[in-house]
Amino acid sequence: MNQGGTTKHYAVVLADGSFFVWRINMPENDVIIHIEGLGKIYDKGKETEVTALDGVALDIKRGEIFGIIGLSGAGKSTLVRCINLLERPSSGKVTVDGEELTDMDPAQLREARRKIGMIFQDFNLLEQSTALENVCFPLRISGVSRKEAEEKAVGLLNRVGLGDRTGSYPSQLSGGQKQRVAIARALASGPEVLLCDEAVSALDPTTTNQILDLLQEINRELGVTIVMITHEMKVIEKICSRVAIIADSHIVESGSVSDVFRNPKTEAAKKLILPSGGVEPFDGSGRLLRLVFDGTTTDKPIVANMVLSCGEPVSIVAADTKQIDGKTFGQLIIQLPSGSGSAERMMAYLDSEHISYTEETDV
Amino acid sequence: MFSSKFIGLVLTGFFETIYMTAVASLLSYVIGLPLGVFLSVSRPEGISPKPALNRSFGTIVNLLRSVPFVILLVAAIPLTRFILGTSVGSSATIVPLVIASFPLVARSVEASASSVRHGVIEAAQSMGATDMQIITRVILPEAVPSLITGAASSLITVLGFSAMAGVCGGGGLGSIVINYGYYRGETGIMYVLIVVLVLMVQAIQEAGARLSVKSDKNSKNSE
Repeated sequence: MNQGGTTKHYAVVLADGSFFVWRINMPENDVIIHIEGLGKIYDKGKETEVTALDGVALDIKRGEIFGIIGLSGAGKSTLVRCINLLERPSSGKVTVDGEELTDMDPAQLREARRKIGMIFQDFNLLEQSTALENVCFPLRISGVSRKEAEEKAVGLLNRVGLGDRTGSYPSQLSGGQKQRVAIARALASGPEVLLCDEAVSALDPTTTNQILDLLQEINRELGVTIVMITHEMKVIEKICSRVAIIADSHIVESGSVSDVFRNPKTEAAKKLILPSGGVEPFDGSGRLLRLVFDGTTTDKPIVANMVLSCGEPVSIVAADTKQIDGKTFGQLIIQLPSGSGSAERMMAYLDSEHISYTEETDV
Repeated sequence: MFSSKFIGLVLTGFFETIYMTAVASLLSYVIGLPLGVFLSVSRPEGISPKPALNRSFGTIVNLLRSVPFVILLVAAIPLTRFILGTSVGSSATIVPLVIASFPLVARSVEASASSVRHGVIEAAQSMGATDMQIITRVILPEAVPSLITGAASSLITVLGFSAMAGVCGGGGLGSIVINYGYYRGETGIMYVLIVVLVLMVQAIQEAGARLSVKSDKNSKNSE
């Protein structure tokens, strides 16, 4: 798989002076996780079947941070659990780093899982073990000696900023600290891939940002491919380069985060990007427009100018701005006046200003 | 009443009771601990579902649990004679004690093992742990506080059973209570022995509770 491309060296110096060097061959568009035709049907007995995933295809590139976003019940947790086969897919193929997991016997699968780290929403640490023992766990089960495992674990705990808490039990740590321990544990076996299943959903906004920063650093330093499962767009915006949107057991949209954000094609994408929970048109008669600003025009008072030049007011139903890849993007949903011709005049004005917009039938 | 002969009698009974309870509990755990873990991991939602075996072992455990101990005591006499050559005395009592106790221990261990959060087990699976590693390095260590509480209850039950064995010449404090309190009508002795038994139960209960709290790193009380 690794023909062509460039070889990158990653070095990490730990606080205790030791260092690791990773040499990673990074061909352009090297796919590390390949999923095709993935289906998962839960048999609830008595002829009741629940389809959690249906015909999911996905390619995740080596070294990227890939987001998978969906509302609860969309199937995203099932999807990430199918990547390391914690859930056995009902159909389809999962290939990670050139090895087809769906084709393996249990012993091979366990071996392959050691190269796939995973962190969880509720951390899933051993409650009766210290932070150090938790990080040692994956090393000990793969036969590393206690001494060697502890040395490596101390280095990893230093790396995640918990060098002084090695002897603490999970109950003595905050949520953010627990997730740091879980990250150190997931990295202990030197994985190529880190799966994050709603890893920041149980954390407050400040801690969320700190954990996301840490994951981004790890991605850059170690070249670990990260798959983020989340229901929050802000997580995707902050660290992901590409995103797939999952709804009703299907991937409905995928691409670079800025493309999907700028031009959401599906209802599911629109809902996630500009959540409209509780947002109602002020009255049922006016047409709704979604305006999308792509970072070049937002300093102009577009809406105010439109109102002035058309001589009629509009209602702002919802508005949001986001930072993606360092550029500001804005979304605005406005309700046009219902008077004859005024909506058309306003849309003509937007066209003349080169503002892209779509008409919303159901916000 | 409190002659040296009487004190000697009580001490002998006391140590016989401790001997029976300790050995029978130990043997019950030798059988019940692996059986309980198996009953937990072989559940449909366990790490290694084996519905048929789980149901078979579960049925055996339930059947043994439904036989009242006094009846089991009598029914086990031929087996005890076969194993030990006698059916009288504190060592002989250990056979029916184990038969009656290991199913209780198994269910108690099963409950403790099943109370370990599934997420923690899933995390170990995601790291490539084998089923045996999950049992020895995740389920059992995580269940320690609960296992200790269960062990205290089991010990108390075995202690109670051992006293009951006095009816059939089982030795220990139970025999003394039956021989002196029941057959001879010496109620004074009986009351003294009841106090001793109550104190023993309290001691086990208290020690179990303290050990469990002390071992539980998940509770805020342990620092």
